[in-house]
This record gives sequence, C-alpha cells and structure tokens, in this order.
Amino acid sequence: MAFTLYSLLQAALLCVNAIAVLHEERFLKNIGWGTDQGIGGFGEEPGIKSQLMNLIRSVRTVMRVPLIIVNSIVIVLLLLFG
Amino acid sequence: MHPTGLAAAGSSGTTRQRKWPAKRRIPVGSQPGMADPHQLFDDTSSAQSRAYGTPRAPSGLGYPAASASPQAAFLADPVSNMAMAYGSSLAAQGKELVDKNMDRFFSVSKLKYYFAVDTMYVGRKLGLLVFPYLHQDWEVQYQQDTPVAPRFDINAPDLYIPAMAFITYVLVAGLALGTQDRFSPDLLGLQASSALAWLTLEVLVILLSLYLVTINTDLTTIDLVAFLGYKYVGMIGGVLMGLLFGKIGYYLVLGWCCLSIFVFMIRTLRLKILAEAAAEGVPVRGARNQLRMYLTMAVAAAQPLLMYWLTFHLVR
Repeated sequence: MAFTLYSLLQAALLCVNAIAVLHEERFLKNIGWGTDQGIGGFGEEPGIKSQLMNLIRSVRTVMRVPLIIVNSIVIVLLLLFG
Repeated sequence: MHPTGLAAAGSSGTTRQRKWPAKRRIPVGSQPGMADPHQLFDDTSSAQSRAYGTPRAPSGLGYPAASASPQAAFLADPVSNMAMAYGSSLAAQGKELVDKNMDRFFSVSKLKYYFAVDTMYVGRKLGLLVFPYLHQDWEVQYQQDTPVAPRFDINAPDLYIPAMAFITYVLVAGLALGTQDRFSPDLLGLQASSALAWLTLEVLVILLSLYLVTINTDLTTIDLVAFLGYKYVGMIGGVLMGLLFGKIGYYLVLGWCCLSIFVFMIRTLRLKILAEAAAEGVPVRGARNQLRMYLTMAVAAAQPLLMYWLTFHLVR
C-alpha cells in the first residue's frame, strides 16, 4: 500500500490544477455553473450547488499565481529526478 | 467535577510539568535546559551541561558546536568565550524569530490546551474509547466561554492520546512485520506516511463537506484531528491481539473496537455537528438536519473502514 504523503500532495496538486482550468465563459456558463447565475438571496442559506460554485470561483482566483509557481517547480523537479 | 482545578483551567500553560511529549524528539539531557533557558548558555561550571546544551540551539550554527568541547582548558580561552557569547546571542535571536513567525501560522498556546492532560484523564479516556456505551453525559464543560482543559473534563478532545497512539501504531506495525520476516526500516516510514496521509485526506474531506453543507459548528480543525486520531487506539489493540492470538483474536478485538469507535464518534459528533435541538431528539427542519445526520453517520462509518484498511495487511 503505497499511499504516502507525497502521493497525496501530487493528487492535491492535480485536483487544484483541474479546478483552475475550468473556463468561465466556455464551460461553466454552459452547464449553468457560472458565478453570476447562482447567487441567491440573503435570507436563505446557500445550497450545496452555490457553495460549490463559490468554491470553484475562489480557487480559480486565489490559486492562479501560486499554481504557476508550484507547477513550474514540480515540472522541473520531475524532469530532473523522475 | 473538580472545582479547585477549574480555577487553574484558564492558564493551562502555567504548569510546566506537562511539557511536550517525548515524541517531539528533544534530547533527554536538555530537559533541564528547557525549564531555564538562560542556564543553557551561562552555566560554565560543568562542561557536561554545556555539551548537552549545545545541540539544543535552534539555528544550526557552527559557532556553538565548534566551541563546545568537553575540555575545560579549551573553554577558558577568551576567544572561544567570545564565540560562545556570539553564538548564544545569535541563537536567542533565531529563537525569537521562530517564535514570532510560529504565531502567525498557528497559535502555540491553543496547541498547549490539547496537551494539558494527566494520567487519570488518559486512563479514563482510553476506557471510554473501548467502552462508550455506559457514558451518559457527552457535553464538554465550559468555563467562561472557553472549554475546560482536558485534565478536568473527560469529554474534551486532546491531542496527546492520538499522537501517542499514532507512534505506537507505527511501532506495533514494525513489530508485526518483523514477526513475519517482512520488516525493513523504510517500511516503518512508509507505514507512518501512509497513516498520516489517510488522516490528512479524512480531515480534508470532512472539512470540505462541512463547508459545502454550510454547517456552523465550533468544531475546529485541531478538534477534528483529535477525534479522527482516536481510532489508532483500536487499531493498536487489534494488531496486538492478532499477534498474540492469530486472526480470530484480531477480528474479535477489531470488531469490538470498530463498534466502540463508531458509537463514540456518533455520540461526540452529534453534539458538535447537529443543531442543539436535534441533539435532544427533537427534529427541527427535516432536510437540513437529515443532511447533518448523514454526514455524522458517514464520518463515523468511515472510521471502522479505515481501521480495517490500515491493519489487515499486518496480521497474517
């Protein structure tokens, strides 16, 4: 069972990359997950779908620049050390 | 419970008896140094204490190591005295820097709360972990808006038992592999890393689902880590019984511990995740409380599964 912390980090990086490449206009709007389509009223508690959309939007905004750096580092390290 | 103790509950950091547990890998000889940090560098009477004190310097400088030789004649040299003073001041600065930056990431005083335990608490908590069926009152007692230290309330989560149980689990796994001639030192690291990775994954998944279902709880991340770390106790019991009595013993004890952890988690998380009204048995709003109930059940059901998954390959 080779489930190590390192593979967890790799999986997390891949997942964050996957969230970051979801394009707003070409994809999310077409399946109804755009950020301007779901913000509900104030009184009602946000449902799971709007929480997910918020999460995707936040991840894309916050992680854009750090992902560039981390991805470059990981690519260089994987090329050097396999 | 202990009225005299409650007065001191707020300042759990004042008692210096329970410092960091032994797993923190501080060399034993420097324990007296921790109680009085000045003694590390000002005591020139015995070369022994200095030889123990120098590995304690937080920033790996060459100066303290170079000048700390057990020979007293060398230490009387004024140049080495200056080097010692310089090294000690650098070490003090480094320690200040580390302390200042540590506070930015996670507060050490909050962490101290989770290690404020004593032997009686540990004993009773371990008993509760394997037999939670008769315990009636699961509420954590509060004292002026802060939860009471674990020393005074058996329901409070602590990090001492999970940390110790994790280390013991890694050692017991090494023992089990050794009895089957499958041992090699890197396997220990692999076991530890694997268990830590599962724990991290559990914490992340639970935090994510708590966020998605918008549950407002006072369940902090460290609390969650503490609760999820309690299953190592059952795992250790199962593997040890498996070593002694073979597969039958392993399945019996593991089954019992799985059931106990299941009940323990449900009873503990019910008070944290479910709304107060639902905790007393009265459903408030069907759909949302149903989701919370499902989440609690899912978290509790994941514990036995992980307990089995992390130990079945150790018992043949």
